[in-house]
Amino acid sequence: MRLLRQFLVTSLCATLSWALHESDVGVVDWHKKLIGVPLYHSLQTAPVFYQDIVYTATGNNVLAALNATDGSIVWRSIFEPEDPISAFGVHSNTIVSLSGPGGATLREFDLFKGHLLLEKRLHDPLLGHLWEPSNLGTSIISTGASSSSDSSSSTILALTNGDTLTSINSSTGETHWEWTSPDKGTLIIYSKAITTPTTAYVIGFAKSASSFTLHVTSLSMLDGEVIASVNIPANFKNGLTDYIAITSGSDTISSIAWLDQGSIKAASLKPNLKGQVFAIKGMQYKRIMDVGLSHDGQFIAIKEDGAAQVLLLDPQTSSLKVIWEFTDSAPSKLYSDSHYVGGLNKDGEPRIARVYWSNVHNRVVHQVFSAQLAEGKGSVSGFTFPFETSVHGIVAHVAFDVAGSDESTGTRFLLTSSTGSVQLWQQDLLSWAREESLATIKVAEIVEMPQEKMTEEHVRLEEEGFFERVTRQFSDAKNLPQYAVNFARRFATGSHAPISISQDEESVSRDAFGFRQVIVAATSHGKIFGIDSSNGEILWSRVLGLGWAAEVGGTVIPVKLYVTRTVSDGDAPQVTLVTQRRADNTLVDTVIFHLDVLTGDDVRAESKSPSGAILEGFDIISGPLIEAFMLPTQNKTIMLLDEFLQVRIYPDTPEAEAEFQALAPSLHFSLRTGGPGQRKIMGHQTIYSPDLSMYYMAYPTWTIPFPPEEDVKAIIPSSPGLLASFGHVLGNRTTLYKYLNPHLTAVLTSSLSNSPPTCSIYLLDGVSGSIVYHSSIPAASGVCDVKATLAENWLVYHYFDDELAGSGQSKGHRIVSVELYEGNDIDEKIKSSDITSYSNKSAEVTAYERSFVLPYGLAALTTTTTKFGITTKDLIVASRKNNIQSIPRRLLNSRRPRNKPTNEEMEEMLVQYDPLLPDDARLIVSHNYEVANVNRIVTAPSLLESTSLVFVHGLDLFFTRTAPSNTFDVLSENFNKVQLVLTIVGLATAIIVTRPMMRRKRLRERWYR
Amino acid sequence: MARTATLLVCLLLAITSVVSALDVHGRIQWNDLCPNFGALGASKVLLDAGRLSATVTQNGTFLMRDVVPGTYVLSVSSHDYIFDQLRLEVSDLDSPPKVWSYVLGTPLVSQSSVTLPYPVTFMARHKYKYFVPHESFNLMGMFQNPMMLIAVLTGVMMLGMPYLLKTLDPQMLEEVKDRHASLNGNSNSGQNGHKKSELSMLLNSDEEPKSSSVARLQAGTSPQPRNRSKANKRR
Repeated sequence: MRLLRQFLVTSLCATLSWALHESDVGVVDWHKKLIGVPLYHSLQTAPVFYQDIVYTATGNNVLAALNATDGSIVWRSIFEPEDPISAFGVHSNTIVSLSGPGGATLREFDLFKGHLLLEKRLHDPLLGHLWEPSNLGTSIISTGASSSSDSSSSTILALTNGDTLTSINSSTGETHWEWTSPDKGTLIIYSKAITTPTTAYVIGFAKSASSFTLHVTSLSMLDGEVIASVNIPANFKNGLTDYIAITSGSDTISSIAWLDQGSIKAASLKPNLKGQVFAIKGMQYKRIMDVGLSHDGQFIAIKEDGAAQVLLLDPQTSSLKVIWEFTDSAPSKLYSDSHYVGGLNKDGEPRIARVYWSNVHNRVVHQVFSAQLAEGKGSVSGFTFPFETSVHGIVAHVAFDVAGSDESTGTRFLLTSSTGSVQLWQQDLLSWAREESLATIKVAEIVEMPQEKMTEEHVRLEEEGFFERVTRQFSDAKNLPQYAVNFARRFATGSHAPISISQDEESVSRDAFGFRQVIVAATSHGKIFGIDSSNGEILWSRVLGLGWAAEVGGTVIPVKLYVTRTVSDGDAPQVTLVTQRRADNTLVDTVIFHLDVLTGDDVRAESKSPSGAILEGFDIISGPLIEAFMLPTQNKTIMLLDEFLQVRIYPDTPEAEAEFQALAPSLHFSLRTGGPGQRKIMGHQTIYSPDLSMYYMAYPTWTIPFPPEEDVKAIIPSSPGLLASFGHVLGNRTTLYKYLNPHLTAVLTSSLSNSPPTCSIYLLDGVSGSIVYHSSIPAASGVCDVKATLAENWLVYHYFDDELAGSGQSKGHRIVSVELYEGNDIDEKIKSSDITSYSNKSAEVTAYERSFVLPYGLAALTTTTTKFGITTKDLIVASRKNNIQSIPRRLLNSRRPRNKPTNEEMEEMLVQYDPLLPDDARLIVSHNYEVANVNRIVTAPSLLESTSLVFVHGLDLFFTRTAPSNTFDVLSENFNKVQLVLTIVGLATAIIVTRPMMRRKRLRERWYR
Repeated sequence: MARTATLLVCLLLAITSVVSALDVHGRIQWNDLCPNFGALGASKVLLDAGRLSATVTQNGTFLMRDVVPGTYVLSVSSHDYIFDQLRLEVSDLDSPPKVWSYVLGTPLVSQSSVTLPYPVTFMARHKYKYFVPHESFNLMGMFQNPMMLIAVLTGVMMLGMPYLLKTLDPQMLEEVKDRHASLNGNSNSGQNGHKKSELSMLLNSDEEPKSSSVARLQAGTSPQPRNRSKANKRR
C-alpha cells in the first residue's frame, strides 16, 4: 500500500510542472524578513543596545536581535499570539523574556544565536492578571553572578503577575525561592523590584480612596524571607508612571522616589525599611521619568515649566540631588518635546541623551549628558542629523549607546519613528534603516506598470544641420553596442534572463513579460508603500496624513484598496485607499486617499505636492464606514456605505453619480449586520427617497434564517478573473458545465453554543440569498478556524477535524475541494453565468467534493490568477510551518476516481483518489525562506498567460511567481540551446566536409560511366 | 451579578481544568539528518491543530503543559524537516501518557499493542529538498542518445563504406555481390517479397547517384524493371 502511494506520489510529482532550481533563488523570488515595529511604550520591551546588537520586542510579538552595524536580523523568536511578550532583559550572556498573561512564562535565549535555552512556567496563564497595560506587574531583574548565593551560576529575579517574585537559577531553571504577596494582587499591585546584593525590595502601589499608597517589602536575597514590609502614604496620581525605584551605582544604596503633589519625595530603602521620607525642596515638578538608568541612580524629573533636570541618588548621603538641568528644555515653538533616554558608555558609565526635533534647523538634535561626579558637574555634547520627518513621521522612541572610545563620534542612535521605521544614526549619517511597518500590512494589491514610453523629441528636421543630425543619431545609438553584446550573448548561451529589469533604474516601466509590477501596500502605522515586485525595493512611500486630527493625534487604519485605473485604461495607474481614521478624541471618520501608483503622488492635489510631503486624504464620511464596494462599471467608481446605510460615491463627479444612478436598480449586495456573536448576513438594494436622505439609501431585501446562535464570521467574495472555458469535457465526450454564478459568495459561520459546536460554510447567491451549497464542519476545540477561497466554480476550504467519533476516526487537517456544475446531471446546461438569480433553475447545481488529509495546518490560501484564465488554477497555501506551497489543481480535483482510473478518466488526466496529499518539498515555493505568520496571499496575472505572481504578507514579505501548467508560452527551461547550436554546427560541418567529396564522386561517375 | 456568577463559573472551570491536566515531556532525538538545534531551527511541537504547543529547547527537550485526558495527535512543526506524527493518549493523571506511532490517513485509534516509550521521542525522518538540479548539458550525454548514435554510425558508414570496399579483396567482393543478388532473387520469389524488394530498391536507387560500382551493379539486377513496370501500371 505504502509502495503504491509512494509510486503515485512520485508519478504525480513527475508531472509537476514548476520545480525550483537553486539558481532561481533570488531571481524569480524575493523575501524580506521583518521583526515588526518595536514596542517602545515600555522600557521593558523597548530596544536596547548590548555590545553590537540591538535587542527589542515588537508589536508582532517577536523578540529580535538586530546587528547594529548593518541592521540585519541576527535572530528572531516568534511568540504565539496568546503569549505576548511583556518584558525582556539582557542577563550576563543570555536574554530572558517574560510573556503571557501576567508574565506567566519565562524563557531564556542565547544572546547571539537565539537558541531557546530554558522555558519555565512561573504561573498558570489562566491565573494571570490582565491589567492595562498588559506588562504591568512584570519585570526582570538580573543580578550579577557575584550577588547570587551560589557563585557558579547567576540568578534571575522575575516579578510576575504583580504579586510574585521568583528567584531562578539561570542555568538550570531551578527556583531558589518564591515570594508571593499576602493579598495575591487583589489590592496591591507590585510593579517594581530592585536588588542590592543582600536584599530585594519589591515595591507596589494600592489605590486608596483618593490617591495611591506605596507598599515596600524587603526580602532576603538568600532565601526570600520577608524582612520587613511597610506602607508609605504617597499622594500620586498615576500608579504607572509616578514613582520609580533606584539604586545607586554601587548597588548598595537604594531608594524610591515619587511625585507627591508637585514635589518629589524620596525614601531611602534599608533592609529593615526604617527611615525618613524626605522631599526636594523649592522645586515644583510635573513628571518623573525612568530613563533606564535606575541602576545607576539617575533619573529625569520634568519641572513645572517643562524643563528637564537630571537627579542623582547620591551614594554618600543617600539623598537625591539635582545634578544637571538641560538648557532650553522647556516647551517652545522652536522645538518639539524631547525624548530622554539613558545609556551606558563603553566603561559602563551612565549617559543621558536628550533628542528633539528642531523646527529652526528642521533636523533632529541630540545632546548627550555625562556627569562628572568627582567635580560635581556635568557636560553635554551635541549633534544634529537630518531625519526626514515627512517620510518617516515623528521620532517616537530613541535608544543609544556609546560604542567608540570618542564619546561624541562614537554615539549611535536608534530611532523608532511613528510610522514604524527603525533607523540607526551615527553622528549625522544614517547607517541603516528598516521599514518595520511592512510587517503590519493591512491591504495590498499588485498593480501592473505601463510600458516604457519612448520619449521622442520632436526635432525640426529641416532646421537640423549635418553635424547635429550625426550627433543626434549617435546619441540615439548609444545603447547599440550594449544591445549587440547582449544579443550575441543571448544567442550563444541561450541564457535569457526572464526578469530583465530595464537598464534605466530610474524609469518605472514593466519588463517584457510583466513580471515587474508595483505592489501597493498600506500598513496600520499610517504609511503606504509602493514596492517593486521584481526585487522588493521600495519605489516610494507616503505618510498618510491625519487631516484635522493631526492636532489631537490619531491613527489611520487602511480598510480597502482598489485599483481605480489600470494600464489598460490608459495613462498612469491609480489606486484608491479607503481608511478609517480614529482620532484620539474617539471620533472616527472615513478618509480616502487617491494615489498615482508609479510615483505615489496624490491624484487629488491640484498642484503637484513636493514629493515626500505628507499625503492628505479626503474625508468622505464623517463617521465610520460599514462597507465599501467597487462598482462593476467603466469608471471603477467606489461606493461607500456609512453607518446609516447612506451611499456615498467616490469620485464624486457627475459622471460617476450618473453611472451609479443608472446602475442602482440592479445593484445587489450583502452586508454583515448585527453585533458580535449574532451577526447575520442580509442582502441589500439601494433606493433614493428624498424625504429620508439626500443620498441613496440601502435597504434590506433578504436575510437568511440562520439559527439565533449562528454567527456570521466572514464573507468571502469570489476572486475575480477572466474565464476561459464554461465547461469541462469528459472522457466520454459529454460535458459538465461549470456553475458560474457571478454573485456567488462564500459565508463562514460559527455556532459555538451548539453541542457539539459546529462551524458552517455556505455558498450563497448574493442577489437572491438562496443557498447553493452548505456544509457543516466540526469546530475543533470550540474554535472555528476555517479558511476558504472561492474562484469560478471551485471552492476550497480548510479546517481541523477532531471528530474522533466520526466516520474517519481520525484527527487531522482537512482540505476540501468542491466543484459546482450546472444542472443535476452531465450535459445539462442552465447558462448560470447569464441566468437571473431569481430563476428556479439557478439553484440546480451538482457539487462534486473530495476531502483530503493535509499533514500541516494552513494560515491562508488562495488560487492563482492568470491573464486570460486559460491556465489551470493552482492553490497557493501558507502553511503553519512558515512556508508557501503551491498545490496543483490535479491533486485537488474533486472528481478524482476512487478506483483505478478507466481509460476515459485517464484521458481526462484524472489520477486515483488518495486522501493524503503529499508533503513534497518540490511543492514548496518559498524553499529555504521562513515566511512567518502569513495574513494574506495576493495573486495577480503577469503578461504571460502561463505565469501568476504571488505576493505574501504577514510578518514577512515574500514574492514569487508560479506557472501552474508549466511555462508553455515561453521557451522551456529545459530547452537546450547549446545542443541545438551544436547540432546545427555539426550538420553544417558535415555538409562542408562532404560537399567536395560528393562533387569529386559525381565527377568520377561521369567519367567512368 | 450574572456577570460575576459567570466569572465564578469560568474561574471554577479554569481551576478544575488546571487540576485535571497533565504535563507531557518529550524530546527530539538528534540523528544524522538533523544533528543539532542549529540545524533544526526554531520548532514547535503541536497538540492537534496547535491548541497546545510547546517550544523545542536547545537540548531538544520540550514540555507540553496542561494536557487534559483525551486522544491527540502530536506533531512537530519544523520548517525544514518532516517528523513522524504520534498518537498520544492521556487517560488519567496518575499513569504516564501512552504513545503510539500514527500514520496519516489511517484511523487514529487503532488496536496496535506496540506502544512507544514515554517520554515522547521524535526523530527527523526526512529533510526537505527544495530544489531540482538543472538538466545539465554534456556532450557525452548527447552522444549516448541512441538516435544520435544511429545518426553518427550512418554517417560513418556512408563515408567509410567506399573506402572499405576498395580495401576488400576483389574476389570477396564478387562473392558478396553474388550472394546479394541471389538473396534479392529469393526474396522476390516469396509472396511478400514485393515490398521488401521495393524497399531495397528504393534504398538502392537512393544510393545510386553517390554509390560505388556495387550499387550500380545492384541496380542492374532484376527488381528494377519490375518496379518500373509497376510504376507504369499505376500511371
